[in-house]
Amino acid sequence: MATMSEKPAKAFGPTLSRRQFVKAGGALVVGFSLAGPEFLKGDSVKTATLKNSLDPTLANSWIEIHPDNTILIRTGKSDFGQGSTFTAYRQIVAEELSVPFEAITTVIAGDTDRTPDGSGAFDFLGHGTPNIRKAAAYTYQALLDLASERLAVSKDKLLVKDGVVSGGGKTISFGDLVRNQQLKLTIPVKGDLTSIFGLSIEGNPPMKPVSQYSVIGKSFKNSVISSKVAAKETWATDVRLPGMLHARIVHPKSLGSTLVSAGQVDKKKFPNAQVIVKGNLLGVVAPTEWEAIQAAEQVAGATKWTDWKGLPGNDKLYQYLREEADWSSAPVEKSKAVKGDVGPALGSAHRKHAATYQLSYMKHAPIGPTMAVADVQADGTVHIYTHNQNPQALRGEIAMMLRTTPDHVIVHSYPGPGHYGRSNGGNAGAEDEAVLLSQAAGKPVRVQWMRADDMQWSTQSAAAFSDVQIAVDANGKLAAYQIDHYMPAMQDDRPIGAVLAGLPAMSAPDVHSGDVTSTVNGISDPWVYAPVPNVVERGHGTFQVGQKVSPLAVGLRDHSMRTPGQFQQNYPRELAMSEAAALAGADALQFRIDHASEERAVGVLKAVRDASGWDTRPSPRTDAVSTGSTPVRGRGVSLMLRSGTYWACVCQIAVIPSTGIVKVEKYTIAVDPGIVVNPVQLKRNVEGGAVMGISHALFEEVIFDESGITTEDWNSYPIPSMSDIPEIKVVLLNNPKVGTYGGGSEAANALAAPAIAAALYDATGKVLRRLPLKPAYVQGLLKA
Amino acid sequence: MVTLNVNGVRREVQAPDDTPLLYVLRNDLELIGPQFGCGLAQCGACAVLVNGKEARSCVTPVASVANQEITTLEGLPARWAKQKGIAAEQAKNILHPVQQAWIEEQTPQCGFCQNGMMIKATELLESNPNPTVAQIKDAFTNSGPSPNLCRCGTYIAILEAVQHAATIMAKRS
Repeated sequence: MATMSEKPAKAFGPTLSRRQFVKAGGALVVGFSLAGPEFLKGDSVKTATLKNSLDPTLANSWIEIHPDNTILIRTGKSDFGQGSTFTAYRQIVAEELSVPFEAITTVIAGDTDRTPDGSGAFDFLGHGTPNIRKAAAYTYQALLDLASERLAVSKDKLLVKDGVVSGGGKTISFGDLVRNQQLKLTIPVKGDLTSIFGLSIEGNPPMKPVSQYSVIGKSFKNSVISSKVAAKETWATDVRLPGMLHARIVHPKSLGSTLVSAGQVDKKKFPNAQVIVKGNLLGVVAPTEWEAIQAAEQVAGATKWTDWKGLPGNDKLYQYLREEADWSSAPVEKSKAVKGDVGPALGSAHRKHAATYQLSYMKHAPIGPTMAVADVQADGTVHIYTHNQNPQALRGEIAMMLRTTPDHVIVHSYPGPGHYGRSNGGNAGAEDEAVLLSQAAGKPVRVQWMRADDMQWSTQSAAAFSDVQIAVDANGKLAAYQIDHYMPAMQDDRPIGAVLAGLPAMSAPDVHSGDVTSTVNGISDPWVYAPVPNVVERGHGTFQVGQKVSPLAVGLRDHSMRTPGQFQQNYPRELAMSEAAALAGADALQFRIDHASEERAVGVLKAVRDASGWDTRPSPRTDAVSTGSTPVRGRGVSLMLRSGTYWACVCQIAVIPSTGIVKVEKYTIAVDPGIVVNPVQLKRNVEGGAVMGISHALFEEVIFDESGITTEDWNSYPIPSMSDIPEIKVVLLNNPKVGTYGGGSEAANALAAPAIAAALYDATGKVLRRLPLKPAYVQGLLKA
Repeated sequence: MVTLNVNGVRREVQAPDDTPLLYVLRNDLELIGPQFGCGLAQCGACAVLVNGKEARSCVTPVASVANQEITTLEGLPARWAKQKGIAAEQAKNILHPVQQAWIEEQTPQCGFCQNGMMIKATELLESNPNPTVAQIKDAFTNSGPSPNLCRCGTYIAILEAVQHAATIMAKRS
């Protein structure tokens, strides 16, 4: 798996300054594509352009400047509710081009034939330099070159404001510069379009100095919100094609069942419905949706599958992972933080803490189940209409399944329910099934999963456990920290329909199956306590549970979910840090400050301390109790560095020991992303992440038996309602001197769990080292 | 044949009596505000107003609401216009205060559940023009067949938008 968060958050790299750039000659090529100034050289790779694709090496494929001074931008990144493509991207481009935000009138996102770069719907701000920023920076230089020529004024004498270039007493707008001209600006691009990371623009064009920002930092509104609220947006769910059939899938009886015999449609009841079978993939299609739903239910009842039991079942999950899973086939990963010698330090510890922490399987659980419309045409062209976090990767997967090439596949991208990572690998479940049914039916087919399909046949966030050992010295300082993280492969990108149909798909997770789908468990949680002298962090990986024994080769399929891998590693670390503080007799927040060296880490801790009204003292509180039916209160803290952003939160909770019910009463979160691009949008993302974090901490656990997932709906997979939501206080720390902007849509969903668990300890004096903190588990802990 | 009264317009639809209203609205009448979320009345994404009361269209047989007054997200501006005596021609260019507040507060993230949230807010504000935070939380949690669920966690933004909508509505009455 990828450890993106450990990439250096380098914003500009070794760039030329604007002045140096001008001195270097400024021969940026407009009109033909070879040679070029210094920043165009380097590791540029000429990518072959597919049919039904844009040429990513042409700047015009990313940003179009129109004669009327309007601007269009294109990005492969689909919006899933973060809003970045409609707000931050427009602000970033407007800033680099020195045009008003409103000049960017059109944003095209996600369509594989109309956007250049691909990649998943994550890391939108690209560690401070998303592709679109570089495209804008290159375009700006080209516009300056054009203006210099037209105005006969040297480039370094030109000024640009609101899309108008002035110099030597003359002015010209960007629109007039490009009017009636065929301009071709070539930019260096490399990467693999249909991979999870897509293409990246290379080189280091000069960027606008942060001190000159005027568009970044303002709370522009998200244009797509207006159209969604007014019911004027076309969602993927709204796509209807002529002659289209509605379909429902009859999924196998278990995660290892194969088809014995497919049921027949009762034609008296459902005269227009039809069964389509491909291997173990069984679909029912009909002209109307209601007939398809009812006929599929009837066919499901008449279909025979083999029985299969090969999963440990939910109750034995951690025992299975500890004792039976194969942790030896994947190499052990070590983090960059490893240093010193933990053995002697642990051996001679003044005080020592050793414990195991467990985190359950969780569902992405989009509020709408996955759906897609596919149209496989007679000439072999495949059109897919869907909501998908990585349409270019989906394109590659569909091509592989059909044994064709990606140029035959076009994915049209529409808004849909948030997936939180589920389709970053290219599919969410219904897309490939729709393609196979359309191919068989010879008509467009719309596959809509029902709620139970989505709970039981989608991927999930991987379960994990971690063993921690900590030594505290006589001065109350951490002398040693050792953590071993155990997690099954966290990303399976195989389209489930292709697997069920027995058609080509990428290989199942294995040690060699690729960067993100490998069984290797990399370290994803950057170490933030540099002064600790002896540190070991190891990652142990294995196959997905059931994958090796299921006749379908599926088992409990996992997929990255918001803060992937890092959630599984930060939760044990941060809860253990709170326990170590208690062992040292120290305040948990001050203990973190004392062990953090980075100014920004200390900054978010102090900010969250002040904003939450934190009372500095050791945990547990002196009057902690673990019995009785009156609420007892406590508070906990946690810290994380992700994608260039520092995060800290404080949770204040109440728990009723007799019922085990935990309620978060106040949630405070401090965020330092460097430059805050759009305060309102960031605040809304953080609030949403905070609520999801409370949900993960208190409610979410996938329940499964020996055959499959038994969680089937919102009753068996509860998430918070409005009455579960505490007062939430968001503190945004705008920190321009960092010089870049970090991510804001992840991390918050993972921060709450260790803080809430620490708060439970503060209130009761007992630690639950297992997520979620469900009433039954809390009750069990407090009674013990 | 079922006769529906949707957003003030009489519509005849050819659908079996037991067809859930959601599929008739989306597939036959092209009213795409309500979304399919669960088909079980557990989330609220499909909500519409029937005689001013929130109903889950995913479990409502179409025949059971024949000739009842149905309002979808698309019909909220006209509903507001009628309540305020705004001329039909002018009504085409306005949004319901709830919709306006949802935009001004930048409430949705993915937005998939927000149809139901705006329907619930409209129902609440029509009966209680100035709800307290506790009353808003109670309405979105306890007044329907299930709580109105948002997976993106926009509840704080919804709360703020309901309060904002109440202010807009008060100014205009």
